Amino acid sequence: MSIIQAKDVKKWFGDFQALKGISMEVAEGEVLVICGPSGSGKSTFIRCINRLEQHQEGEIIVDGIELTNDLKNIEAIRSEVGMVFQSFNLFPHITVMQNVTLAPIWVRKKSRSESEEKAMELLERMGIPEQANKYPGQLSGGQQQRVAIARALAMEPKIMLFDEPTSALDPEMIKEVLDAMKVLAEDGMTMIVVTHEMGFAKEVADRVMLFDDGQMVEENTPELFFDKPKHDRTKLFLSQIL
Amino acid sequence: MVDVIKKNIKSVQESLFSSVGSSVLTIATSYLVLNFFRGMFGFIMSSDKDWLAVLNNMQLYMVQAYPESDFIRVWISVGLTFVFSGISIGLWRSEDRSNISVIFDRFFKVGLGLLFFTIVAPTFTSYMGNDGSVITEEVFSRSTRLGILIPTLIGTVGFLVLKNVKINFSYNNSDVVFLYLFIPVVLIWFVKLPVIQLDENRDRIMPDPLMPIANTTKIPWSVIFVLFLLSYFIGIYFKDVKRLKNIMSISWFLLPLLIFSWIFKKPVIEMNEVLTGDIPIFVIFFVVGLLVVLFINNPIVKKYYSIYLGVVLVGTLAGVFISIPMLAKACLLLLSLFSMVVPAVSTSTQGKRSLIIIWLVALVTLTFLLRGGASETGIIVPGSSIFGGFSLTWLLAIFGTYVSFPLGVMLALGRNSKLPIVRIICTGIIELVRSVPYITWLFFASVTLAVFLPAGVEFNLIVRVLMVTAFFSGAYFAENIRGGLQSIPKGQYEAADAIGMSPFQKTGLIVLPQALRAVIPTLVSSAITAFKDSSLVTIIGLFDFLTIGKTVIDNQSVPVNFVGHQRENLIFVAAVYWIFTFTLSRRSMKVEKRLGLGER
Repeated sequence: MSIIQAKDVKKWFGDFQALKGISMEVAEGEVLVICGPSGSGKSTFIRCINRLEQHQEGEIIVDGIELTNDLKNIEAIRSEVGMVFQSFNLFPHITVMQNVTLAPIWVRKKSRSESEEKAMELLERMGIPEQANKYPGQLSGGQQQRVAIARALAMEPKIMLFDEPTSALDPEMIKEVLDAMKVLAEDGMTMIVVTHEMGFAKEVADRVMLFDDGQMVEENTPELFFDKPKHDRTKLFLSQIL
Repeated sequence: MVDVIKKNIKSVQESLFSSVGSSVLTIATSYLVLNFFRGMFGFIMSSDKDWLAVLNNMQLYMVQAYPESDFIRVWISVGLTFVFSGISIGLWRSEDRSNISVIFDRFFKVGLGLLFFTIVAPTFTSYMGNDGSVITEEVFSRSTRLGILIPTLIGTVGFLVLKNVKINFSYNNSDVVFLYLFIPVVLIWFVKLPVIQLDENRDRIMPDPLMPIANTTKIPWSVIFVLFLLSYFIGIYFKDVKRLKNIMSISWFLLPLLIFSWIFKKPVIEMNEVLTGDIPIFVIFFVVGLLVVLFINNPIVKKYYSIYLGVVLVGTLAGVFISIPMLAKACLLLLSLFSMVVPAVSTSTQGKRSLIIIWLVALVTLTFLLRGGASETGIIVPGSSIFGGFSLTWLLAIFGTYVSFPLGVMLALGRNSKLPIVRIICTGIIELVRSVPYITWLFFASVTLAVFLPAGVEFNLIVRVLMVTAFFSGAYFAENIRGGLQSIPKGQYEAADAIGMSPFQKTGLIVLPQALRAVIPTLVSSAITAFKDSSLVTIIGLFDFLTIGKTVIDNQSVPVNFVGHQRENLIFVAAVYWIFTFTLSRRSMKVEKRLGLGER
């Protein structure tokens, strides 16, 4: 049973067509890596999945709910889908602990003590329990991104979206974030990851996709994708990035 | 020690004498500033001045000609404000502590300043006598100078030593507020100053007898101080009750209205009218609001809620045209506003509980206002039309800010809203209000506004001034806050969306806290401007603090002729304005530091 279904999704920014008909399915527990050159529509596509962007044609069904303008559906989907951004987007005016507990307390209406316990657990899983009472500005980039992952996980989502989670990080910090993501994948989380980290894709992904010019060019298992790419575009992309 | 001095000399060299140009500038400005100071000091000390022109008119300065028999109204208002402040400071008591060396450092700096001024103060001063001749007199003899210089020097050095000795004693930053208030309260009991008194022939008794300053007000001030202290402890005791903080915030918002109606009108209560009119209306509306809050989550109620809303809105509109009691009209308006808010807030039990409390408080306040301040029947306090002086300035400035700040927040959010109608209305209000000079708005308040208000509602001129002031500074606050809203990166909105927050939560928890933090400096300067601009009310015949200093005292000849003593009064007025604005800006810097914690 696929948890995300997209059928012929199209999206325009003014005259520019960013998505030219994407169709795909993601099964529960699957790790999907999307790569491609910048401007290829990969970020736009995963932002459509939790309605940060609106698609204009086609349909997206997440966990059995179709994405429409109905506010209730959007809120229901957003609480099922966690998202991690390239620029972390932590809330700078509150502590790490408050960042992580904000959504459980206000959106899920859980008690403070219960949410804090859960948050501590998550921060431990991310390897940063000692940072709980600091402010985001006092942490390194890698630590901030791990807090962002913990914040998304605190809502207990079924799906996690990663929008270039390591692109804004120093090389040394990339590993700690990728390790945290690996742990998640091993625990069976459904993940869609937009990234240029081909090592991660080889090691963790169940499937790899290449986007170019608003279209899905190639879709395959990592072994076949890297070793026997079908399209010339994929070959060119891999030769440039590896 | 030598190192410290060397370092300081070096920094002075670098910052003041780095080049020929800056040396010239430094010397020229110091010459001007020193001369200004010496002239001022000479005037303050010379026998040309008469500070009694200020001291003897303290009552005028504070409340102008408000009837003495009704002073209790003013005192209760002041007391209420202090009690509210006490509770608030207690509730929001900071855990920040400062070491005692901070205080020593402050004393050390004061000592340095005192030393400097004692050294540069002039020995002689001259002024124009009554006959046109120049009179020169000694204002600061050598012995006085030494008498001040030596103890100050000893004290300054003492504090310098104390400040550098590590003493392990710290105090809570909130608690120290009481020390600042305790000192003046003690002083008004013991410090004595000359007072003008007349003998039976209505001649001034010379020399002026000495009396404690604030002889008539020392008891009320002391009582207020004790109440302040008590309410502080109450606030600390209930620190953990979260709902009390919400109630306190709402109360602050209502306080100015209560005070105004209390100062200007004596409510007339006819039991007959209250029993047959007010109480039934009150009960009906309270029950309706209560039912709405309790059953809003019931599916049947939810289904028909929009119909109910429509009925209430139509009722409110109809209420304007049909003849029902004023209270019912106002309650209808309140009910329709309330009913619109309920569905968004009542999702949790806690939200429901605070909604019920808000509803009760709002109804009680409305009833009180309609019976008191804005009623047809209330009796105007005789002489309240000449309520003025510092109390007026204070009320206009502080309460103007209290009302205009939330208004500004709402206007700013409205202007940024996605809903076109809300956006157009808010933009319209802001642009309309800002495009007309403040003085025009004041004339509008004094002449035109009464015509626009519904029949049966009449506000005192000062209340009307407060209304236009609220909108005027509200519009400026709104634009400042909008600047803050625009400084919030798009990612913050997206992150809040992505964790499933509702628009209300997003605004209240993520956007506003950051936006307000970003614009604290401009907000404070707007508040300071509002404080000083309140002196413009003189143009519509209100006597604010400055006007009293300038005109009233200058034209006064009974019991003693103070004509020609503007300078003393203007210096006094300027000093008071300075003390308040300076304190405000210092406080805001502290708040900024405290809130800036996350940006480190």
